[in-house]
Amino acid sequence: MKLNTLVKSSLLAPMGIAALMSAAPASADQEYLLTVTRPGQLHVIDMATNKVERSCDIPGKFGSGSIALAPNGKTAYVLSNMTEDVYGISIQNCDITFHVAQSEGNIRVKSVQSITVSTDGTELYTVQNPVRHLPDRFEILEPKLAVYKIADGMGAKPVRSFPVERRITKIAATETGEVILGGGDVTAINTQTGAVRMVTALQNWDRGPLWAPPDAFAMHSQGEQTNEYLMPYSTAKFEDESMNMETAQWWWGMSRVNLTTGEAERMETVPFQFIVFNFLTDPRDSNILYGSFNTLSKHDISKHETLIVHEMPHTYYNLNISGDGKTIYVGGTSSDISIHDSETLDKIGSIQLSGDMTTSDLRVATIRD
Amino acid sequence: MALTKQNKKRVPLVGPALALVAVLAAPAMAAQPDGETIIRNNCLACHSETGDKAAPFSRISEQRKTPEGWRMTINRMQALRGAKISPEDKRALIQYLADNQGLAPTEAEPYRYLLEQDTNRVEEGIDEGLGQMCARCHSGARFSLQRRSEDEWKRLVDFHMGQFPTIEFHSLARDRAWYDIAKNETAVELGKNFPLITPQWNSWKTAPKADLTGRWRVLGFVPGKGQFDAWMNAAKSESGYQLQLEGQYADGSKLSGSGNARVYTGYEWRAALTIDGVKMRQVMAADAKGGEMAGRMFPAAERAIGGELRAVRDQGEAEVIAVMPSLLRQGESAELTILGQHLEGDVSLGEGIEIEKVLERDDDSIRVLARATGSEGARSPSVGSASLEGGLSVYQTLARVEVVPANALTRIGGNGGEMEKVRAVYRAVGYSAGADGKAGTEDDLRLGYMPATWSIKPADEVAAHDKDEDFAGSIDAHGIFTPGDAGPNPARKMSANNVGRLTVIASVNDGDAQVRGEGSMLVSVPDFVRRVLD
Ligand code: HEC
Ligand code: HEC
Repeated sequence: MKLNTLVKSSLLAPMGIAALMSAAPASADQEYLLTVTRPGQLHVIDMATNKVERSCDIPGKFGSGSIALAPNGKTAYVLSNMTEDVYGISIQNCDITFHVAQSEGNIRVKSVQSITVSTDGTELYTVQNPVRHLPDRFEILEPKLAVYKIADGMGAKPVRSFPVERRITKIAATETGEVILGGGDVTAINTQTGAVRMVTALQNWDRGPLWAPPDAFAMHSQGEQTNEYLMPYSTAKFEDESMNMETAQWWWGMSRVNLTTGEAERMETVPFQFIVFNFLTDPRDSNILYGSFNTLSKHDISKHETLIVHEMPHTYYNLNISGDGKTIYVGGTSSDISIHDSETLDKIGSIQLSGDMTTSDLRVATIRD
Repeated sequence: MALTKQNKKRVPLVGPALALVAVLAAPAMAAQPDGETIIRNNCLACHSETGDKAAPFSRISEQRKTPEGWRMTINRMQALRGAKISPEDKRALIQYLADNQGLAPTEAEPYRYLLEQDTNRVEEGIDEGLGQMCARCHSGARFSLQRRSEDEWKRLVDFHMGQFPTIEFHSLARDRAWYDIAKNETAVELGKNFPLITPQWNSWKTAPKADLTGRWRVLGFVPGKGQFDAWMNAAKSESGYQLQLEGQYADGSKLSGSGNARVYTGYEWRAALTIDGVKMRQVMAADAKGGEMAGRMFPAAERAIGGELRAVRDQGEAEVIAVMPSLLRQGESAELTILGQHLEGDVSLGEGIEIEKVLERDDDSIRVLARATGSEGARSPSVGSASLEGGLSVYQTLARVEVVPANALTRIGGNGGEMEKVRAVYRAVGYSAGADGKAGTEDDLRLGYMPATWSIKPADEVAAHDKDEDFAGSIDAHGIFTPGDAGPNPARKMSANNVGRLTVIASVNDGDAQVRGEGSMLVSVPDFVRRVLD
């Protein structure tokens, strides 16, 4: 399938998160850009000066750079040790206040990006993919949502767990006590009862034969400035039942979940003309999206139009935005964060880090006084 | 903006005849009692004895694969599982496993290209569903060259999941219930298509195996040097055969070498020779009678630069093995060489072909000047009582030229980087139109390899716009394509590296005219993983 091959070559890369309380960006708030580089540092960048204010060492082998934020913005939870461990690190002094080793005994447990913190900051959630290592074979166990009490600190053990679907990547907590699970479909799980409801059917959508099954994938989903969870997908609409790939219309689409209500909107956004790895909503105007990969792009989804395409010197998986919506930070993949004016997409600065970000998150922590 | 261009930056990115022979005993196949001992001594820290005579060792007994397949598994046991085994025990164990849990010749036959390390081909005949599930990281031949019980196919899926935790998140996996499908559908299908127990294996396992000792008439091709013919002597040694090879290239220059061969499963010929200072590998399959072998030879250090190899054993009988070149244009005089053994008696090149002069003649090669007058078509040249059916083609016009490989993948490298460049070698095959007078139809007559002038051009508009033809590499007079240097190139837009997409063109002379053929070339990024089998 054309779409698949196309996306394949670019998305094959190996595989972070957060949901954050939103509030109107107030000028007294201090914003910090957070990311992880190899071999294992959490960088805290002051977004007022665009300088690295602090670099904290993360114990363990590099994970995937996935970051979840405490609602007060002061602690970053980072997936480390080959995506088996979670460390809670103070972004103000690098103190490590929380640690979970998910693997135990002969059961190796990995999370693919999936970590998030409850909106009241008391619980941490991970989606676990366990494998039992028997002497001469592997046994694949069912994935689950594990719930940890943040107050349990170092060596925390799950206090509850519930079965979930396979193939969950990014997760995000809602203000309604659910966790959004991004997989083949977007679903939500009640963190007390384990009840799962469909938020947006994607792989299981029922749109008739003219719509190709979507390829949905959320590696990052940086929605902290808009309090949303964004699952992009690509699809094709065929002209007729002959399913001709050549004449089909290729679309980007998204499921965008409001983390206050847990409700989502699903729509085709703009025609698929080039690869975008992550989309981001402008905090001032929900019709404006930005996208990054080999280009930084700006889109008006009310008109299904791509407004600006800015060529980038290399691939950037990831992007995020200042609370006032004026400044875009483009990062991931390599060791530099490229800073752009959101109006024109012109480059206005850059931040050099000590190592490659590869698949790491680029998150904004806002500390309010 | 074109998708292909966007994509490109990150594409990390993939017949013998029969002879009569005295069949000798089968030393290689006789169960070596110490194979089981080696397993007991090296593998039972993790594997267990089942108590079942038919499948004595857990995981190990319910699979069959090629020698390379076994090597790959044992390499993984050492590298990832922590198994310890001495090089001697490992060699003996691979021999034992390949002999006793190998593939029958007919089971391996469709996928020999993988064993021959011929990677420049688009696999055909792999089911699309299986292709998406299983042949997007490695070849389809990798699993098609294995036979397992259904449970072992399922455990293989579990190995993949445990070893590559993101496997179900990749494109072409995350859009479906990958693990569920792999385990409950794909593994079941593989268990049916490639079962542990087959009639082919049952009969091959008990069939007598040929002794390959003797003198072999060898024909082959070495990129950059050309076609050669040689004699290769195979004398019994402790682990297989000791080899001595002497011969000459088409231009008269000599080649000579020596080395060793091992034979697995009674027919899988694997030889390592040093020929004129270069370490070479031979991968061939012997026929059931041990009269003929066919396969490929390539430098040990550069498997991409190889050529076909054939060997016919000297059994005291006259035999015509090949005519070089294998084509003759109507009305033209040309020099031809008949290659064979015990070539005595009258020489004929077939109907309507006049031998104007015998230029040189001995027991295994006859060089003649010949002229074709008759109609277009295949001829069967003969010397004395020996003849080679369809060994020579007479044609009037060269109707088309096929470039082989039709699709090649090379890799940038060198430039102080960790990986050498991966080159490719091209050859041009000529065809005449056949009886219907139309080129490209079923009845086209394959004439054989033809000398060509080689050039490259960008594959399409995007490649032209990026000037891929200037950066991605170059092709020499021998048809050898050398890709560009690794690393960013400041001369390219966005300092891109030297990857690109090209069309490779062969121009072949046909009288005063020129006929062109095209092949496609993807110049990709270095691949840092060295696999036993792709
Ligand atoms: C340190 C433990 C250990 C030792 C020693 C060990 N193995 Fe294994 N073996 C495993 C594990 C674990 C697996 C399953 C995971 C895998 O396939 O890599 C396995 C799987 C296998 C398989 C199945 C592979 C497949 O493709 O399905 C074979 C065959 C095998 N081993 C052969 C051997 C042989 C032969 C030896 C001795 C030379 C050996 N093993 C020694 C741990 C071991
Ligand atoms: C994500 C990429 C990927 C996919 C998809 C994949 N494989 Fe593999 N496979 C690998 C790699 C890497 C190895 C090499 C393991 C090693 O180092 O021994 C391998 C090894 C194998 C082997 C050799 C194992 C042995 O020791 O004999 C077989 C057979 C195989 N795969 C079959 C399959 C089948 C069947 C499927 C589909 C169900 C599949 N593969 C899907 C990556 C993949």
